[in-house]
Amino acid sequence: MGSRGAAAAAALSRASRIRSKLQSALEATVLEVDDVSNQHAGHAAVRGSSDKETHFNVKIVSPKFEGQSLVKRHRIVYDLLADELQSGLHALSIVAKTPRETKPAQ
Amino acid sequence: MWLCSCAKPLTLQLQSRPPSSIHSHVRRVTVTTSTLSLRPSSTHVFTHNVHFQPKLKRASTTIRCSSALTPQLKSTLDKVITTNKVVLFMKGTKDFPQCGFSNTVVQILKSLNVPFEAIDILENDMLRQALKEYSSWPTFPQLYIEGEFFGGCDITVEAYQNGQLQELLEKAVLS
Repeated sequence: MGSRGAAAAAALSRASRIRSKLQSALEATVLEVDDVSNQHAGHAAVRGSSDKETHFNVKIVSPKFEGQSLVKRHRIVYDLLADELQSGLHALSIVAKTPRETKPAQ
Repeated sequence: MWLCSCAKPLTLQLQSRPPSSIHSHVRRVTVTTSTLSLRPSSTHVFTHNVHFQPKLKRASTTIRCSSALTPQLKSTLDKVITTNKVVLFMKGTKDFPQCGFSNTVVQILKSLNVPFEAIDILENDMLRQALKEYSSWPTFPQLYIEGEFFGGCDITVEAYQNGQLQELLEKAVLS
């Protein structure tokens, strides 16, 4: 992906960028990305900031999480979203499961 | 002579605020060097009599520091998480949390009657940035149990719901 791709990516919303980064890296079978920034507007760390798109809930079901501790899974997600975290993304609520863990109980 | 004019001098704000001892370890630091031009000896006086005067130059040499986690701060953090069984780096204080996620973890720990050290990262931005590197975790709160990073709010809540947190804390407090 050249600079054209990067420029196009920047024009998308943060939610779309998060979605595409996680999808391509994790081959997610389930991927939900919700912008919940308005629920956090006004709290100490974002007060005065003009950034929207600061808080997101992310749910990912991916086989790549197999065998990984929760901390490791979250770190993988954080690493994939490092650019977003440096540019105004403030907090992420992460649910990271493997397909096996989400199978309904028989 | 080496001059770096690009970056500002690195300064850390001293904040001494009991009871959190960590803030008193972050001190104001500036780095300076001096350069001295020496007067040549008389044997080297040129025929056109150019005299060099010794100049004492005090130049502010700046170090571009891309890491907030200085060795001093790292060893302070090492000490904090090993001398306290349970440490929560959070936004706000345990009596006045300033963020929903931090508050959630505080309430969980309080409901389990676990003594814990709470450190307000909103007080000190250098500490806040350093902790992200130290823990390899970009957000707060950050919970440490027995010197090991346990997780943020989501992980703490999940472990509380499935009983793992209580088990771990009991072991920590009794050991």
